[in-house]
Amino acid sequence: MLLGDARSGKLSDNITGFGRMLRRAGLQVDASRISLAIESAQCVGLSRKDDFAAALQSVLVSRQQDLEVFQQLFAAYFKDPELTKQLLMQMLPKAPAKAPAVPRKARVQEALAAVSKSKENKTPKEDEVKFDAAMSASQRQSLQHADFQSLSASEFKLVEHLARNTALPLPRIQGRRTRSGARGQRIDWPRTLRMASRHGGEVLNLLRLQRRPQALPLLILVDISGSMERYARLLLAFLHQATRQTPRRVYAFGTGLTDLNAAFKLRDSDLMLQAANQQIADFAGGTRLGYSLAQLRQSHSRDLIGRRTVVLLISDGLDTGDAQELESELIWLKRHSRSLLWLNPLLRFEGYAPLATGASVLHRHAKGMLAIHNLSRLEDLAQAMAKLLKT
Amino acid sequence: MTATDSFNSINDLAQALEGVGYFAERRLITAVFLSLRLERPLLLEGEPGVGKTELAKALAKVLGRPLIRLQCYDGMEQREALYEWNHAAQLLHMRAAQHNASAHDVEREVYQERYLVRRPLLQALQTPAPGALLLIDEVDRADEPFEAFLLEYLGEYQVSIPELGTLKAQATPVTILTSNRTRELNDAVKRRCLYQWMDYPDRERELAVVRSQVPGASAHLTEQVAQFVGRLRSQPFVNAFQRAPGIAESVEWAKALVALDTLTLDSEVVQDTVGILFKQREDVAALGPLIDELLLPQAPQI
Repeated sequence: MLLGDARSGKLSDNITGFGRMLRRAGLQVDASRISLAIESAQCVGLSRKDDFAAALQSVLVSRQQDLEVFQQLFAAYFKDPELTKQLLMQMLPKAPAKAPAVPRKARVQEALAAVSKSKENKTPKEDEVKFDAAMSASQRQSLQHADFQSLSASEFKLVEHLARNTALPLPRIQGRRTRSGARGQRIDWPRTLRMASRHGGEVLNLLRLQRRPQALPLLILVDISGSMERYARLLLAFLHQATRQTPRRVYAFGTGLTDLNAAFKLRDSDLMLQAANQQIADFAGGTRLGYSLAQLRQSHSRDLIGRRTVVLLISDGLDTGDAQELESELIWLKRHSRSLLWLNPLLRFEGYAPLATGASVLHRHAKGMLAIHNLSRLEDLAQAMAKLLKT
Repeated sequence: MTATDSFNSINDLAQALEGVGYFAERRLITAVFLSLRLERPLLLEGEPGVGKTELAKALAKVLGRPLIRLQCYDGMEQREALYEWNHAAQLLHMRAAQHNASAHDVEREVYQERYLVRRPLLQALQTPAPGALLLIDEVDRADEPFEAFLLEYLGEYQVSIPELGTLKAQATPVTILTSNRTRELNDAVKRRCLYQWMDYPDRERELAVVRSQVPGASAHLTEQVAQFVGRLRSQPFVNAFQRAPGIAESVEWAKALVALDTLTLDSEVVQDTVGILFKQREDVAALGPLIDELLLPQAPQI
């Protein structure tokens, strides 16, 4: 056996082991990729380590985010496979000795409690659940970590009810793809001619191409400063349910930006809130909207697709950051989106005027300011949104 | 495969690419080499202006294959990417044959290859040996249904046209896909391809590119340009801008400087030509106060 001959010996075993290790580190590596990697190692040979690394990389990595993990693991693995194994063992989540009892969700608990309760207890009127952080001080407000409680049964019902019955008027535009239809400006030549060829070349009627309607993508930005907690929670739950059919991106902001997209992929709203809890680290730490938007621009600007995105900014506008930064970032955001809507819970106070620095900047740049303090009046919000977005 | 067979090693390929003025990192060349060998499409991702499209052009020259380019855009449909019937000609034929042929014959006659308008993806399949170099540019701009179609195409290199049957590739095209990452591509498409992330070039490579593309520039000026742009893209300056200039911009800039008979960079010349490096008003404004610092002969100590 030739030393370094990829076809025999241990190399293919090693590459297989390496591929499996990458998989454990979260890269998408399957058996076909591994066999391709072995094949590519044969092509390049082993005379140069950097070529070998590049070959494996071009096969096994398919996202820029994974490059660094690959490079580190490569360096470690092809020096000392045993060492890497140990390293990886440390990275694995450790199973606790005894599995904890599965915590019941609040809505399950409430539902159970309701059954055992004597019937004389009045059940709360569900339609009147209001979310008013300012009016009903909660002991929980002093907590530093995000504390989106899971939804209570009544809240859950309300959110579900709203999501089902309130059609959120997300506009659909005429897309650039077409389908055959009765109306439309363009002629569907392929079908017309197909018909004509069956009638001896006589064009009996012209069939049309119609533009296919297309959903506009949503970008949801939720303020999670202390004063916003309860609005944020229920609104998140509501939007989670109501915008299921729409392409959407979700971020929370406080002093910085938190990516909630992974959480939003979960189907269950409770699980979504739980996941969001774990990710948000700057809960109730004040609002730096300008800085958060700058982060959005730097790392996620590709979420704004071709000036089609509708941005929903959910905030009370009490910004502690730099007003100038906020202004320039808002201008950028406005320029890259179709419309920017500001959903403001403070609007419930009569005579509210956006005078705080952050609020006045927002007011100047947002396309519309909508009240969201009462979710049970969401129909109003829906209508107002429809009016604003109709262009 | 005749032309590609002549590249027995990565070194040969690197030399050939340099011969046509494309200077690439070895990592990238390895990926290209593998994609030729394994006959897999190569997906290039990276910021605009790092030379993704240029690589395809250079590779076409090196391999002696015709470059067939499909520029993707939002709402692109099969008829723009694959094929379309020449309806006007079909109609004329039908008219002419109206009285002396049966309807069945007419239908058979108008769906012949000569009434087929070939779009890039079909052209690439029908290019005779050694085959085409197919560049699917900015695939992230097309929508997801198109990606699904592409997946099928890249897997089999054949298309079926209902009226004609299945058309297979005469010679497998060398395929390069590029993406600016305006959105994440489907995993299935990525799995079909080899992947390479292209970064901004290092100083040496940029110097080599500018030197070969703008031979009129003096050595001193070339070096200054490379250094200036390189610094723009690195800390701490890069944070000030929304989009750093790519290598295409530095070449353009060098050309402009030569056209203005510049011998050495100073802050006035930079001010006058800044529109080539930056295409956004905010970036142009942000550059102003930094110019002097960027022009310092020595790199600031880190």
